[in-house]
Amino acid sequence: MKKLIILLNILIFCFGCELIDIHPYDVHVTGDTNINTNNVKRIEKLCSKKNIFSFAVIGDTQRNYDETEEFVKQINQRNDIDFVIHAGDISDFGITHEFIWMRDILNKLSMPYVALIGNHDCLGNGQESYNTIFGAENFAFSVGNTRIICLNTNALEFDYSHPVPDFTFIENELEHLDPNIEKTIFVMHVKPYDEQFNNNIAKAFQYTITSFPNVQFCVHAHNHRIEINDVFNDGILYYGSGCIKERNYLVFTITPEQYYYDVVYF
Amino acid sequence: MMWSTFKKIIIFLGAFIFLCFYPGYTQNKYEKNIERYKTFWNRLIPSHTKIQFAGSMGLISIGPGWDYGKKQKWESDILIGFVPKYSSSKAKMTFTFKQNFIPWNKKISNYFSFNPLTTSIYLNSVLNNKFWNKNPERYPKGYYTFSTKIRINLSLGQRLSFNIQEAQRKKIKAFSIFYELGTNDIYLISKLNNKYLKAKDYLGLSFGIKIQIL
Repeated sequence: MKKLIILLNILIFCFGCELIDIHPYDVHVTGDTNINTNNVKRIEKLCSKKNIFSFAVIGDTQRNYDETEEFVKQINQRNDIDFVIHAGDISDFGITHEFIWMRDILNKLSMPYVALIGNHDCLGNGQESYNTIFGAENFAFSVGNTRIICLNTNALEFDYSHPVPDFTFIENELEHLDPNIEKTIFVMHVKPYDEQFNNNIAKAFQYTITSFPNVQFCVHAHNHRIEINDVFNDGILYYGSGCIKERNYLVFTITPEQYYYDVVYF
Repeated sequence: MMWSTFKKIIIFLGAFIFLCFYPGYTQNKYEKNIERYKTFWNRLIPSHTKIQFAGSMGLISIGPGWDYGKKQKWESDILIGFVPKYSSSKAKMTFTFKQNFIPWNKKISNYFSFNPLTTSIYLNSVLNNKFWNKNPERYPKGYYTFSTKIRINLSLGQRLSFNIQEAQRKKIKAFSIFYELGTNDIYLISKLNNKYLKAKDYLGLSFGIKIQIL
């Protein structure tokens, strides 16, 4: 009996390594890190010679692991998508495991992907998990002559302790923009005038981003519904992606002359 | 004059000494109260110390605890946990209040006994100002419906105890090793409606030592 119990304990210990949970917010990250940084390089390389490209946008995956897995299976069957953008709210509570679970599902995508930070991803020390697993909250990459700029706009989460949106980053982007860039697309989790956005500077934000070359459109998530808004009545459309729970995603195709979008239900 | 003063002093001293040693009513009540007071605080002397590894409350947690109830089936622990920095900006401390119920105790030999089941519920709080229990004022009312600071954990486990024989006891009465398999509110909610999450994702294994002093 005694030996059996000891043996059982040793066995449990051997199997247990993956089972051991130090703390939900421990930021004890195993597996891939710097996803965005690495995938941005992959996207830029894969699309360097393309003048027509397509990307899918999903958002608010939160606790919907099964639906996200289904999305990955569905989109892997298509061969016309160059990359996927997750527009934020990867997690629901900001705990470390949620980011890892979601990362492991999205890593099964046959095309590269990047993920933005959403308001839920900032909870607790979620931002630190996001930074470790995905990378910096503000990042940008070029697909041919198009610059895609991804921004953290979850101002309410930071309570003015952190510049959100980060104008230094945006201005730095503008200053160092490659002269070959002819078009710009902005991606953010929260669109201006939503409760999370720093609405005091909404117009200044729009003024700054419209100084980029030929802004095509902006994409956001957060509201859990598909929507299209001309937020500032200046012709720049904000496309809102639905929540993955509703089993849909957006596809944008950029051609030299124009762009078009699709809503895909699965 | 001198004599009468002296007599007065003698009487006074005599009365004083008499009152000091006389088991009078007032002192008796005080002594009784003191005894009651001491028994009360004595009961609050922790009867054991626990050291636990993992269990969603830190890499290592340590703290005092109490055994009570019929056949000492109930246990309460107060644990201070340490969460290393890992990839975050700083290490964290946590505070845990743990309540255990141990329904059975099987005696294996004079030295060993075994608890085939231990059940625990515990609240763990992160001692870090990034975490809140109620939404901070900056949020609209009811913006988030949960606490990032306090987690409710549930766990089941088993325990093996080694009882030191009375003649050989020095500082410790017994010590036990135990393991627990547990989860918390967030992991459980995440599991709901998700086939993707497997037991290894939402269950956590922890190990510990209980040092029985009293």
